[in-house]
Amino acid sequence: MKDIFTKISSNKELKIGVIFLIMLILIAVFAPHIANYDPYVLNDDIIAKPSSKYIFGTDGLGRDVFSMVIYGSRTSLKIGVLAAAISSVIGTLIGGIAGYIGGTVDKIISEIINMFLMLPTFFLILIVVAIYGGSLKNIIIVIGLTSWTGTARLMRAQAMSLRERTFIKSAITIGESNKEILFKHIIPNGIFPIIADSTMAVSSAILSEAGLSFIGIGDPNVVSWGKIIAHGRGYLTNGWWICTFGGIAIIFTVLAFYLIGEGINNLLNPKSSRLN
Amino acid sequence: MKKYIWKKVLTGILTIVLSFCFTFFLIRCAPGNPIKVLAGTDNPNPELIEHLTTKYGLDKPISVQFINYLKNVLKGDFGYSYISNESVTKLIKERMFPTILLTLTSSILSLVLGTFFGVYAARKVGTGIDKFMCGLSYIIDATPGFWLGMILILIFASTFKILPTSGMYDIREDYQGIYKALDVIKHMILPCITLCIIQIPLYFRMARSSVLQIMSEDFILTLRATGMKENRIFNKYILRNAIIPTITMFSLSLAFTISGVALIEIVFAWPGMGRLIMDAIKNRDYPLLTGIYLMISISICIVMIITDIVYALMDPRIRYE
Repeated sequence: MKDIFTKISSNKELKIGVIFLIMLILIAVFAPHIANYDPYVLNDDIIAKPSSKYIFGTDGLGRDVFSMVIYGSRTSLKIGVLAAAISSVIGTLIGGIAGYIGGTVDKIISEIINMFLMLPTFFLILIVVAIYGGSLKNIIIVIGLTSWTGTARLMRAQAMSLRERTFIKSAITIGESNKEILFKHIIPNGIFPIIADSTMAVSSAILSEAGLSFIGIGDPNVVSWGKIIAHGRGYLTNGWWICTFGGIAIIFTVLAFYLIGEGINNLLNPKSSRLN
Repeated sequence: MKKYIWKKVLTGILTIVLSFCFTFFLIRCAPGNPIKVLAGTDNPNPELIEHLTTKYGLDKPISVQFINYLKNVLKGDFGYSYISNESVTKLIKERMFPTILLTLTSSILSLVLGTFFGVYAARKVGTGIDKFMCGLSYIIDATPGFWLGMILILIFASTFKILPTSGMYDIREDYQGIYKALDVIKHMILPCITLCIIQIPLYFRMARSSVLQIMSEDFILTLRATGMKENRIFNKYILRNAIIPTITMFSLSLAFTISGVALIEIVFAWPGMGRLIMDAIKNRDYPLLTGIYLMISISICIVMIITDIVYALMDPRIRYE
């Protein structure tokens, strides 16, 4: 435990990222205590400037922007983490199988990965959500199902190099089944770069959700940063505060996950960290 | 070389088939029955329903429908919009030019600027300015493009009132010739700056890391040992080798740029494909939406195949793999 702590504090990116993330989690957990208004309640003051009463002002319907931004962290974190979890599980399995088994299986899977890489992913997400409705569940599943290719490529490379190592060869000689080797040796030993990659995937999922909400096909029942920005678009001339703070919240969150991912990568390959 | 090109073309064709299957099954499995919508919900006439079903070929087995759809797309017929009843191809054609103008201008600008900054940062590696540029590139990466566009509107259009907020032309004036072009350029500045800012970090990082990687290779050390001047090594050997990956990046990023451009177009009310997509979503115009998707994925595939081939021509190491 102490070892983990020293590792984290030795790496600047990781340290800042983890501090940001802890702050975000605290904000999301204690949202009802931090926010001074209900984000769904329409107050009497419409488009009120930021003041001591409304820290970030109010929007065109009289909702308190500060409270909406605070509650929005819940939506973003939920979508980011769950979508990234789905995509990394799929990616790890597919990449692991392709890299470990090799041969024809690998050729077919690699070809599928290449095909997916050529697809305009955000567009695909957009169409599916537009047709099937933008509930939180749909958005998470669709983002998860379309963004596993990066993880799969990474895991495939890991599995291919691990396959040649002596301990895997001895496991094969002892007669362990492929399934056992894959889940007990290959995946646990190759997982660290995947973790770094998944944290980055959280950021891109959050950005995708913000884009969807901005277009107006996000979940209509939850507060989300993208939706606040979209609402603020109509008040650019007389309410700069409505869109500004939602965007800053997105930058802060996405940056936290980027930094953590980058930090883990640098810890894993000290050589590349010198280059960066 | 021939084998390499064939492999790339084959992957491209497979990708197009894949997106094609996606769109077909997405539409088929979409909730709601289009025939019921067309026939009216209040008092549907069974004969009308039967007639419409036959007319649109929905009574045939799904395999036949799939082949018919494929045939139509091969003929360049991407279906008809539910709302305006015009062909999707025609609607897209009308909106293509503004999008291509914006995408290409901003992509080329970011390629040039990003590579320049990246090479500059790599030469000053470890210094304060390098660290600052790297930090900034992370922050920009975390910024949603549409939000950045709105902030630029706030600053340059709402507060200082020096640039137009939206659109492609000034509708109150009737410019001709060179004035028209100037007017378009004036309207293009803000969306273009937004797109450049979000794309530059991509090229910046690529250029920086590839320059650094080549600088650490053995042949550079050998050149240094021969006593060659540092500037000559840099311009003749490092730069040339480092620039190739940024060019591939250009085509790869096009796929992502197009969806990014759509969002920026919506912010600036730019009359391109982004607006078309937005309208299609608002009107639940599925054939238009999938038609646009299909057309964009096909164009991306073609661009990617071309870049792969150009890349292989430029760098022999690729094609002998």
